[in-house]
Amino acid sequence: MSTSATPAAPAISSEHLTRRFGDLVAVQDVNLRVAPGQFFGFLGPNGAGKSTTIKMLTGLLAPSSGRMQILGIDLTQDSVEVKRQIGVVPEGMALFGRLTGSEYLNFVGRMYGLDRSTAAKRTAELLDFMQLVDQPKALVTDYSHGMQKKLALAAAVIHGPKILFLDEPFEGVDAIASNTLKSMLQNMIARGATIFLTSHVLEIVERLCSHVAIIHRGQLVAQGSLEELRAGVEAQAAAALTAAGAPHEIGASAPAPGEKLTLEQIFLRIVGGTRRADQELSWLG
Amino acid sequence: MAGLTFSPDMRGQFAAIARVRWQLFVNSLRTIRGRMEVVARGFIFFGFGMGAIIGSVALGFSAWYFVSSGRVDWLPLLLWPVFLFWQLFPVMASAFTENLDSSNLLRFPLTFPSYFLIRIAYGSLDPSTAMGTLWLLGMSIGIACASPPLFFVAAPVLLLFAIFNILLARMFFTWVERWLAQRKTREIFGVLFLFMVIGFQFVGPLVRHYGNRSHQPAVSSVVVEALPIERLLPPGLAAQSIAHFLRAEYALALGSIALLCAYTLAVLWLLNLRLRAQYRGENLSEAVARTVAPAGKHTIQLGWEVPGVSSPVSAVLEKEIHYLSRSGPMLFTLLMPVVVLLIFRFSSGKTDSAGGLLGHSSDLAFPVGAAYTLLILTNLVYNSFGADAAGIQFYFVSPVRFREILLAKNLTHFLVLVVEMVLVWIGASLMYRPPSFDVLLATFTGVFFALVVNLTAGNLFSVYTPKKVDLATLGRQRASQVTALASLGIQAVVLGLCALAILVARAYHHIWIAAIVFIALAAVALAIYFLVLNRIDAIALQRREAMITELCRA
Repeated sequence: MSTSATPAAPAISSEHLTRRFGDLVAVQDVNLRVAPGQFFGFLGPNGAGKSTTIKMLTGLLAPSSGRMQILGIDLTQDSVEVKRQIGVVPEGMALFGRLTGSEYLNFVGRMYGLDRSTAAKRTAELLDFMQLVDQPKALVTDYSHGMQKKLALAAAVIHGPKILFLDEPFEGVDAIASNTLKSMLQNMIARGATIFLTSHVLEIVERLCSHVAIIHRGQLVAQGSLEELRAGVEAQAAAALTAAGAPHEIGASAPAPGEKLTLEQIFLRIVGGTRRADQELSWLG
Repeated sequence: MAGLTFSPDMRGQFAAIARVRWQLFVNSLRTIRGRMEVVARGFIFFGFGMGAIIGSVALGFSAWYFVSSGRVDWLPLLLWPVFLFWQLFPVMASAFTENLDSSNLLRFPLTFPSYFLIRIAYGSLDPSTAMGTLWLLGMSIGIACASPPLFFVAAPVLLLFAIFNILLARMFFTWVERWLAQRKTREIFGVLFLFMVIGFQFVGPLVRHYGNRSHQPAVSSVVVEALPIERLLPPGLAAQSIAHFLRAEYALALGSIALLCAYTLAVLWLLNLRLRAQYRGENLSEAVARTVAPAGKHTIQLGWEVPGVSSPVSAVLEKEIHYLSRSGPMLFTLLMPVVVLLIFRFSSGKTDSAGGLLGHSSDLAFPVGAAYTLLILTNLVYNSFGADAAGIQFYFVSPVRFREILLAKNLTHFLVLVVEMVLVWIGASLMYRPPSFDVLLATFTGVFFALVVNLTAGNLFSVYTPKKVDLATLGRQRASQVTALASLGIQAVVLGLCALAILVARAYHHIWIAAIVFIALAAVALAIYFLVLNRIDAIALQRREAMITELCRA
């Protein structure tokens, strides 16, 4: 796949990013390049290395080798400055369960260097925006999963980060909350922020993201704009058709004539992932 | 639907749980930390094993002596300490006690009897149960040596007493856990505890009053007043039933056993109430009702601003205080130093002057209480991130250095210690007499030195061997066993140094010499503390994966 060239310095870049866990190479030689202002979707099947990559990019995990730069700053050289510029919703959401929602947001704001009154003001605004004001005295641990997700996202943006890293932000979130989150993220992009998101909900990624990368078995197998990915897959399919004389393993993922390939179809073509009918669990139901 | 005919039996479920526990243990050995935990557990097991064997032999010998010398009425003197240890040790040494998270079990198709038995079995694996059981076994053997036929009575009676203790400890844990889980019940519990402390203040004068009225020596008057009550309580009943059998008073013996059975059944019923509520999926969260707040109208309180420290340090300190103030079990544990003073105060019949175990040297009350306070605090200090759980990720993605985070946590520990010391001072002054200035100075400097040493070591252990704990649940605050063992070693060294300084001061008849030694030691400890604090960022970054893995564990 081609990599789209961006004239500006990348917001996020990695060179030969590799992470090993013993004998397992979870992420191998990943070269990412995300331009400022991009809504970037990072996709891959389960266990492909998405979370490992996002953890390395946010300082939660040390790489075995390779380099990472955020806004031109080397993460290993000046991690504190990088952390000031980014907001993160990690896999575990990083919440403090025994605080109330407002205490938590206030706390996070002050940890990011906001003064007391600004932290309090933004806390009130965010709780209102995320519709979390109904239970001001409830502890975070008593929030529903969706409410916790919204709170984690509110915490990630309270300091107005230039780059937002989101690991599965829409998982367990209802349609209303999902709409709220999407509009907030689109507003951030409109104001020049960069968003790096992993998600299994490909429809959402397709609707929100301008650029996508796909990781499979630890290696980056595709990176570019949606159009670039689509063109690449269609070119491959055409080549296969010419070689074999018949459509090969396109089946249900093939688009109707004249229709564009969806992101799901592109994803399935790139990473494979068809399951035979005889592999179904016959004892179920 | 296919598969619904399968009916899992209890035996199969128990075997599955045992197998999964074994597999978890085997898997834990894959990491160096896991292997270190096993080694630490080995040492702790050895320590408790020695305590169990020595206690068993001592109690066995004492029981043999009492029975063979016709002093069988003295058996309660052996059973009461066993009973108190069994019930108090899990609360006082929470670092060695762990409670089961029942929510893990409830998603499986367990029947209530299975669930009940599993909860009892898990609870019975703690050191106090193992030691208490062995001590009672030692007593049975001692009684058997003194009077072989009596063994056939003593063994079942002591077995019943052991069952009563196991059930009572479980019942106590589950009910206290329930009371401490919510603010309202926590406050009621706190008020009751306060009444108990105040009530104890009247015991001394009452005993003195009745002692004087009967013109008997104070000690014997207390015994006379307390004996009828003591004989109706489980340790007394167990001892009485053995004594009655020896004297061929079978009706009385059976009566005592029946009453002990009644106690056991009552405890079983109370425990059953709690466990059944848990089994039905009781949720003790403090969630409050939704309120309709007009958009944008709610106000948020400003965060704390602690003078002399940075904004992030203030924020972490505020967060830590919120956590502690919402942890019923932790607040309960922090009251224990005053309880210990109470126990010492009323541990013997010497009620005339200062009284109690510390009666002959009431100046010791404040230092003993202060030392115990520090010991309790180690559970927090040595596992600073344990309660943060998944929040640890936030510390790693935030632009705040770990030295600031730990500094804030240490400041919290220091504040808690100061409050505790004031409480202990008030308690010691009320129950004994206000400590002299020399003792006060030596205690404060000694505790300060010990605190700095513990904070230094605690910061390192918090990063190297963190363990996820739940401050809201009694019995789920067990630190890593490596940490527990190491902290015991450090306490021994600190205590040794303090004892040495006090011995030197006593030799010169000037207690202030000890204070000077403590100040010098504290200065050295402070230098090391800041050295460690300056290196803690690099260490935390090195250890981040292990910390996150452990603390984010489900």
